[in-house]
Amino acid sequence: MMTAFIVFTVAAAGTYLIRLSGIALLGGDRELSPRVRKALSLVAPAAMAAIIANSLFLDGGQWRAFGAWHLAAAVAVGVALWKRSMGWTLSAGAAVFAALLLAGL
Amino acid sequence: MPGAVVFGLAFGALISEVGLPLWLAPYASSTVTAGASQIAIVEALRQGAPALIAIATALVINARLALYSAAMAPIFAAFPRRWKAVLAYLMTDQSAAVSAFEAHRWPDPVRRRWFILGVSGPFVAIWIAGTAAGAILGPVIPDAWQIGFIVPLMFIAVMVPAIRSWPAVAAAGIAATVVLILKDLPYGLNVLIGALVGIAIASFVPDRAAPGGSAEPGRSPEPGPEGGQS
Repeated sequence: MMTAFIVFTVAAAGTYLIRLSGIALLGGDRELSPRVRKALSLVAPAAMAAIIANSLFLDGGQWRAFGAWHLAAAVAVGVALWKRSMGWTLSAGAAVFAALLLAGL
Repeated sequence: MPGAVVFGLAFGALISEVGLPLWLAPYASSTVTAGASQIAIVEALRQGAPALIAIATALVINARLALYSAAMAPIFAAFPRRWKAVLAYLMTDQSAAVSAFEAHRWPDPVRRRWFILGVSGPFVAIWIAGTAAGAILGPVIPDAWQIGFIVPLMFIAVMVPAIRSWPAVAAAGIAATVVLILKDLPYGLNVLIGALVGIAIASFVPDRAAPGGSAEPGRSPEPGPEGGQS
């Protein structure tokens, strides 16, 4: 518990410094270099895909048995590409997952 | 805005599912205030990761906020220091996107800062409240519901619609592949390494030809990522 509290607190301080970085250091004629800008723009897709792969395909370090998780996630990805909408993706993914669980998968 | 509620509820429920004290949920949401990294911390701790790795993972995920902060620098330039300090705390994926697109309609710095406060404040307030509600509701959710599915689902909902360039596709694909190849690494290190490798390699993918949109990556905050700031 104490570890979690410390981790959240330190992560909070670091995150605040990140949030403040550009506002405090840039402005005027100083700008981010295109290379840094591009790397930062790739953080979100890379980090989120890493979390998705880890939580979807693995379970406690082992492969997750194929089932409702994979199928519902596939539907969610399809809806996300089709509708380009977070709300639709969440609703469709949750509905399919619930239906699959009810069906005993 | 509904995204912030659902994401908040999910994070709160996750905290209670892994057996952490419930007050940590609103504490994390009001201090870290970035959902994806908060979930990553919980996942890392659940796998027994040392504090340093959990923190590093969170900061890598939140490094994207540096991009928003850079985009906000000219918009916030005329604000007093204490306003910058507060608005930096309230900066989320959503508020940065709205501020970047709408701030030019408020040339007067005083009105502009109130506008940005009005855009960012409610998001954060709802995020914290949603998290607290999720932590309270979490224990009543039956195990059979497998609430853990909310983690991949949430990130699919946030990430997939926001991917608009080949480098972003490459970053996601490489990161996911590395995570699975390195699945036997302890402490959730595979997630941290996967994300870093994805960013590093995809940086060399040329920007041209964007699938499903012509947005130039990195020119402005990607609109709409992360339902509750993460």
